[in-house]
Amino acid sequence: MARKPRKYGEDVPFSLTSMMDMMTIILVFMIKNIDAEGQLVTQAENLILPVSTSRVQPKEVSLTVIVDNNYVLVDNGKVITTEEVLKQEDLLVASMDSVLKERRQTEQEHALKMGLPADEPGNIIVQIDKNIPYDAMYKVMATCGFAGYTNIAFAVSMKNGGEE
Amino acid sequence: MAKEIKKPARPEEPDLLPAMGLFTILIPMLLSMTAFQKLAIVEVNLPERSMMNMSDEPPPEPDQQSLNLSLAITSDYLVIGARGGFQPNVFFKEMWTFRCKSDAQLITYSTEDVKASVDAGKGPKCKDGKEMDVEKYMYEIETIELWALEKTSDEDPGRVIWAVYSSQGENVPDSVFVDGNNSFLAVTGEGMMGLTPPPSLKKPGAGVAVATLAENSARKLKPENAAKNIIYPLSAYDLIAKDLIAIHTQFIDLDDADNIIVVANDDTQFDKIISLMDRAKAAGFTKVNLAKLGG
Repeated sequence: MARKPRKYGEDVPFSLTSMMDMMTIILVFMIKNIDAEGQLVTQAENLILPVSTSRVQPKEVSLTVIVDNNYVLVDNGKVITTEEVLKQEDLLVASMDSVLKERRQTEQEHALKMGLPADEPGNIIVQIDKNIPYDAMYKVMATCGFAGYTNIAFAVSMKNGGEE
Repeated sequence: MAKEIKKPARPEEPDLLPAMGLFTILIPMLLSMTAFQKLAIVEVNLPERSMMNMSDEPPPEPDQQSLNLSLAITSDYLVIGARGGFQPNVFFKEMWTFRCKSDAQLITYSTEDVKASVDAGKGPKCKDGKEMDVEKYMYEIETIELWALEKTSDEDPGRVIWAVYSSQGENVPDSVFVDGNNSFLAVTGEGMMGLTPPPSLKKPGAGVAVATLAENSARKLKPENAAKNIIYPLSAYDLIAKDLIAIHTQFIDLDDADNIIVVANDDTQFDKIISLMDRAKAAGFTKVNLAKLGG
């Protein structure tokens, strides 16, 4: 007996139900992870921040210093290698100090133009790789202080991704 | 003529195309606003001038009305100092827990084992038998743990102390439990260096009253939570945290009751400094200074 050809009389409607289910799951996941306030600090590349229980958020955008295994960067510009910082005896990192002082002066001039007090201590956020030795961290921190950035904060990853 | 039986109408599917359009716009927008890793800051006070001063002048006499609290970390122990005196050392064994890229599993090694392996030109091994990249294994460190040791003398290599921890899964410890007398549910381990969990240490069952080091944390264990608890080496950070809480409570009336100086060696990893600062802040020391050991 000859095989009966299959009939395609009606157009099969394109079912979007399964796609809708998928989209709903993605949407719920996104809403759960949404950060409506926005992030004033973004993690630099090539480093792993230490995990902390701190939930303190920076109040304003500040100058960022990054210390990874290879370089010290001020505002994303390479200033000196981390190895050189570790090797030097002096507490003050000269090349970093000059860049920071320049930035501090610009900030103060800008504050004066805006009619704000220029003698307030500068704010700085330091992102340091979790395996960087204390020696490098201490020198970087001291240099920030010498350059006028005395309000220092370390960037950290929130424990459990910030979940309660 | 016989009445024609009406066929039941085929249910019409709702038109989902407009909803799909909405989702297609919403998802990219939310994706741009989503934070998968949330960052925070830890504020720190600058090193004090006296700490940075290398002059030969004798340090000023300590103020008897001040606590002058310091927390020092070396490669072997943690110690709390105040008013020129020191508490007993809290000895520890440093362990590195890696999350391997090859199998995404956690594996813990002592620093000595890792260094011996790296010196031999090999990276630490993962659970699936693959070796980590000898140049980049540091990037696979997930946590640096300090396992508290019980030592009877300076020559004694010490034995690991085991405690009961709550856990969120993967055998990763979360908060250590204390009993009604604020003592850790802990016992020294057996075997070489106490690396075998002691059989006498039992996990508390459902309904048992326990607490953590956090304030007002006393509670009766629910069955689902009791099942998640684990026996894990006691962290030296937790031992120090308990002492810090006691000190802060005892000397709350002093002028510098909220001040602490974290003192460390040159080669101490930044991760350990942040862990100590976390414990100090949780104990109520809001003003944290940093200084160098012997500096």
